[in-house]
Amino acid sequence: MSDSKNKNLSAEEPPRTKLAEAQPRGYFEGESMTRRKVFTVASQALGGLAGAAVVLPAIGFALAPVFSRGQERWETVGKVADFNQETYRSVVFTEITGIGEVGKTTAYVRQGSEKYDEDPAEFIAISTRCAHLGCPVRFVQAAANFICPCHGGVYDFVGKRIGGPPVRPLDRFQTRIEAGEVQLGPRYSVTNQLKAVRVRDPGQFTGGIWEYLYPPRPTTFPPPSN
Amino acid sequence: MKSPFPSRTKKSEAANGAIPDENGAADEVKVSRKEKLAGHKDLAVHHGKEGGIDTAGWVDSRTNATGIFTAMMSRHVPKGTNWFYTLGSATMFIFAMQAITGVFLSMYYTPSATQAYASITHMTNDVFLGEFVRGLHKWGSSLMIILIFLHMARTFFFGAYKYPRELNWVIGVVLLVLTMVMGLTGYLLPFDQRSFWATIVANNITASGPVVGPYLADFLRAGPDFSATTLSRFYALHMMVVPGLIGSLIGAHLFLVVKLGTTAPPWVKVARPKVARRTETVEAGVATADDTEVDVASASTSGAVAAQVEPEVTESPVDPATDEEAAPEDGEETPS
Repeated sequence: MSDSKNKNLSAEEPPRTKLAEAQPRGYFEGESMTRRKVFTVASQALGGLAGAAVVLPAIGFALAPVFSRGQERWETVGKVADFNQETYRSVVFTEITGIGEVGKTTAYVRQGSEKYDEDPAEFIAISTRCAHLGCPVRFVQAAANFICPCHGGVYDFVGKRIGGPPVRPLDRFQTRIEAGEVQLGPRYSVTNQLKAVRVRDPGQFTGGIWEYLYPPRPTTFPPPSN
Repeated sequence: MKSPFPSRTKKSEAANGAIPDENGAADEVKVSRKEKLAGHKDLAVHHGKEGGIDTAGWVDSRTNATGIFTAMMSRHVPKGTNWFYTLGSATMFIFAMQAITGVFLSMYYTPSATQAYASITHMTNDVFLGEFVRGLHKWGSSLMIILIFLHMARTFFFGAYKYPRELNWVIGVVLLVLTMVMGLTGYLLPFDQRSFWATIVANNITASGPVVGPYLADFLRAGPDFSATTLSRFYALHMMVVPGLIGSLIGAHLFLVVKLGTTAPPWVKVARPKVARRTETVEAGVATADDTEVDVASASTSGAVAAQVEPEVTESPVDPATDEEAAPEDGEETPS
């Protein structure tokens, strides 16, 4: 390691070849690295390359779903005449395919009402996924409220939070009318002013600075424009 | 035939440059065989056991398995070691039980959203001893969490996390977290109403962490919602990833236990021989003390006292017109 030690050693040993003694030992003229160092670095680099060739694809494989968006799906839930402005009607439809019953979800659907500044030609579909931790809420006709059985979250008729731990109004589904039938599309979240934003998971606030603290994910669909 | 164990004579011959031919070698084999046996004996003695002819001895002379086993199992333990010291081993036993029962459960389990529940009911109700093996795995998971916390409490209250065992405490905390990940991922696998909704809630709690939470939840679910991939992802984490991590970290944990030894209970006073007293200098050169523990304590207190008695002198004098920390600007009168 130290130069003095090397010099001592080279002083004691007679030179074995006629080549000029490298100074310091192990280095020959014009070299910035010893051969040992070159081979050490080269073999470590090769090992690193081989490791990266295995690990990086594996990580990408595991992380891929975070960056890919699925196919947009629309499900028919009933005829236009089945729904009215006064109250909700619950519909069950498949939100996620391929997992059987688990992929089904419930939504409460009604016609838009001027009473709540809505277009009567549009349909409102409220998701039953509680904005607290995702338990299924139920529309209670007598109180005209949505009530969550898990932790006591309460929402008013349009889905705004009026009590309990939820952090934002209930999510909604995009709606459209095709050949006289109401279809539900991708889910979206709303702010406290009912402005549509990209869907957030339960427990995440919406609007204002929260849009940055809980950033929209690449897996979600853009919200309807309104 | 060349011997895989070159004897000393042969070595010296090679050094002298004498290379025996076939006929010459025959004479020397008789001589060197004795030497060879002596070499074997040396090797065996070196490993702490006489070289046996049996298979166990053959393996042992090449691996030093007995030596490693002795170092692990007959090491010195401090006076006062009691039943509380078995909690770590108990936790490890439960982990081994979980690993074994888990492997056998996987023989009947189908990690598919449409078939998982049916395979669980089949293994519980129809398979011979299925209820028992699944019960071991289910109750063992709770027991493992309980034992880990008891083991952690023992370490904490006995002060066994202190120098030089801090790293082992850190590894232990990682093991605790990984065990909880096992609990979380395993809870989904029966795929009944309870496990499904519990996983939904757990995922949403994960997602409610700011900035990274939403992405982490997407990674766990393999998408924006609970999907067909979620169950297999949890299964892979539960079966392969986390147990592998836990196993290797238990190895590191045990290595450090063997290397550093265990601590005596706090009520056992160790008489320190005067010869073994150490004098250590503190970094700042403020204090010297005989005992390491006293050393650390005095170092922190004396450092704090010094900071209070001799506060740092700021560069500029106080100027009431400016901020406390701001230096006086040019052109302004500086009080002299």
